[in-house]
Amino acid sequence: MKLFCRILIPLISLVALVLLGGTNVLADVVVECPTWSAGPGSPINYTGGTFIDSNGDGMIRADDSEITAPVSDTQVCLHLAAGDGLVNMADGREQYMFGFANATGTPNSQVLNVFMEGAVFPAPTIKLKQGDDVYLTLTNVGMNRRPDLFDPHTVHWHGFPNASAVFDGVPDASISINMGSSLTYYYHVVDPGTFMYHCHVEAAEHMQMGMLGNLYVTTAQDGTSFEYPVSSGKFYTKFAYNDGDGSTGYDVDYPLQLAAFDPTFHDASFNIQTLPFANMDDKYPMFNGRGYPDTVKPLGDLPLHNHSTSSPVSTLMTPTAGDRMLIRISSLSTTSFHTIGIFGLKMQVVGQGSRQLKEPYMTNSITIGGGESVDVIIDTAGTTAGEKYFVYATNLDHLSNDGQDYGGMMTEIQIQ
Amino acid sequence: MIYIKRQLEDSCLILLTLLLSLVPATGWAAIQGLSGTNFNFTASSGQISAADGDDVFFWGYGVAGQRPQYPGPTLIVQQGNTVTIRLSNRLPQNTSLLIPGFKVQASGGVAGQITREAPAASATEAVYSFVADRPGTFGYYSGTNSDLQVEMGLIGAIVVRPTGFDAAVPTAYGDARTAYDDEFLFLLSEMDPEIHHAVEIGTDPVATTGFHPVLWFINGRNAPDTMAANNVTWLPNQPYNAMPSIEVGKRLLARWVGGGRDHHPFHTHGNNFDLIARDGYLLQTTAGASRQASEMGTVPDLAVSDFTQNVAPGGSYEGIWSWTGAELGWDMYGHSGTEVGICESGPTPATTIDADGFDVNTREYCVDHGKPLPVVLPNAQQLTFGGFYSGSPFLAAEGSLPPGEGGNNPNAGYAFMWHSHNEKEMTNNDIFPGGLMTIMIVNAPGM
Repeated sequence: MKLFCRILIPLISLVALVLLGGTNVLADVVVECPTWSAGPGSPINYTGGTFIDSNGDGMIRADDSEITAPVSDTQVCLHLAAGDGLVNMADGREQYMFGFANATGTPNSQVLNVFMEGAVFPAPTIKLKQGDDVYLTLTNVGMNRRPDLFDPHTVHWHGFPNASAVFDGVPDASISINMGSSLTYYYHVVDPGTFMYHCHVEAAEHMQMGMLGNLYVTTAQDGTSFEYPVSSGKFYTKFAYNDGDGSTGYDVDYPLQLAAFDPTFHDASFNIQTLPFANMDDKYPMFNGRGYPDTVKPLGDLPLHNHSTSSPVSTLMTPTAGDRMLIRISSLSTTSFHTIGIFGLKMQVVGQGSRQLKEPYMTNSITIGGGESVDVIIDTAGTTAGEKYFVYATNLDHLSNDGQDYGGMMTEIQIQ
Repeated sequence: MIYIKRQLEDSCLILLTLLLSLVPATGWAAIQGLSGTNFNFTASSGQISAADGDDVFFWGYGVAGQRPQYPGPTLIVQQGNTVTIRLSNRLPQNTSLLIPGFKVQASGGVAGQITREAPAASATEAVYSFVADRPGTFGYYSGTNSDLQVEMGLIGAIVVRPTGFDAAVPTAYGDARTAYDDEFLFLLSEMDPEIHHAVEIGTDPVATTGFHPVLWFINGRNAPDTMAANNVTWLPNQPYNAMPSIEVGKRLLARWVGGGRDHHPFHTHGNNFDLIARDGYLLQTTAGASRQASEMGTVPDLAVSDFTQNVAPGGSYEGIWSWTGAELGWDMYGHSGTEVGICESGPTPATTIDADGFDVNTREYCVDHGKPLPVVLPNAQQLTFGGFYSGSPFLAAEGSLPPGEGGNNPNAGYAFMWHSHNEKEMTNNDIFPGGLMTIMIVNAPGM
């Protein structure tokens, strides 16, 4: 009997494995950007359509004529790769990270090779239009530097109204994608506003490790001209919200996302040690993935960095004197609240939580916790070219890159 | 070998029991608490169970003659009533009770710095009396050595019902702008077990300046215990559940109270809420007008829509939350569109579509009726499944799941995580997941 069990059990297991392996694809990179094969009424071709990001905006859009035979005029296709990578802090220190990269347009067969260990921080900015039908494919390329990890990943569109559970990206409540495979999320984008996105798998870990980015939606009202204030002679065609009167109109907008790294946590992850959740203590506070002075530098001007392309986003703001600026502030800090202030300019808060505020208000500081977003308008009327204004965390201990002072959560508005 | 096998069997049983106990029943009492006008409390010490398995020594308010509890009893009282709380004390130091938001008359006991106190280890009562002159959600907590005693667990919540409250058509503030179908309390707090240990072994005085919380709570429980039912036997001193659920399209009133000393950004997955009141004051202009929120229907005119509420220490907030599924772009039930009696546009058969475009029975958004899921989901081998996933992307539908997956969502509702977005607070003393987190389940009508 004992011998029988010893032989039979492995045999059954082996047969089961072969059967399973033989009948199912275990992993596959598949981008779903569906197309009609002919006219309406014909079957949808979910994969294998023809599309190319011809204008280089990081997404495939039907209204940019980048999709042959799209399923709708407002179809948008995006492809994110999720995995690991290395990034430099502003003091040059190398940090291991988990993150996303924009794989849109890369042939399926090359995605694993190209994006393995290719994560960027912050995650690629996703800028959409109200009314878009978004097909966002997420491919899990695995953790090249942590082959002991088999973590799945998700995309959580933070703040999506009336989200369905299956596309909300919470692993406990739905599905997450395993290594080597792809999952396509669908969003019918109804509301404009400032949102954010991040991976929700083991959220405290994956977010501290860097799986987060900017996401915002421009309005259906964009393109319509409003004079604001009435009889001011100032006209706007871009708006934070569908305000109906131009009151959230802007000339130039900047996403500004707060997040921070705890080097002890990142080093523990890299060195396969127990992760210090309770002691999580951020030492690298950042705007859009960089600490000052990197925040104001172009990509090519990061001499301390071996991995400069891992943090490609500059947060230098360069409005022309007189411009009305919109700053889309969001926080994905995993540890603390922050207060953001500006020297010398006034802030008008026109929105929060991806909705227009009924009563906008003036302020000199914005306090924002993890998972909150605030839309701030700054009127640069009265400034002159060459002037410089600082945007910074008034939590002054967050103005550092670990031990290095005059760093952290700070950037500049340089008037042109 | 037999011993090990038995151990395994026991473990399986325990796991099964745990899983079953986590399964949310429908129709759980929304906010459990004590009703009336006169309450007798005793402050005493006990143990609470943290979800990492730790027992934490605590001080709590409890009904006189019963166990202390964390948090203290939730009091549900009527606007206009005079509410009296008599407090006796078995703790080794004086204690008391503050009810910010009301003019409290304190008597009895002994004089304290802020209010009358119930003396240490004594039957002498301190008596706190106030007129609940306005509706809303409020906190209460110790006014004696508060920095330590609040940390130790001497906190609780009070819900004041508006004048004329009718449980059949409930409102938070007495009018349709604040009407709701279900209500839930979220009393948020945190603890540093080191402080509790120091108190337990008799250290006096205990330093609280090194405060370093590693446990985070909703209604006195860490996730996943937040999702266990009210009054489960294994949490004798933590009676309150914190797992909300609601039907599609119904209005949920969330009552948040900041019970500790830290701010917590509380994120509602699934949809925005409309913040309708702070600290028991409606967000309205003096004219008191109402407006139509995109989802929630009528709300006070200064209500603010958001997806994350900053719950500050000592603050309270009320939000109306709803989930309609409008404009998903696909049929949330996976209907083919040929079903009889659903989203009928009339006149024959008679219309089933209401003025907002929803089917009167299924509550689905009829514009999306019959639209297919726009993507093909990967096969099971490529996916990791959550315990609250029904196996199907569709509401109220079960799909096939690998053995051992799913199981926590028997009505196949849509599950949304509600949690602190200071993500480190979703842990239990270094163990993820846990902490200040729960799951909100949106069910199909009648489920």
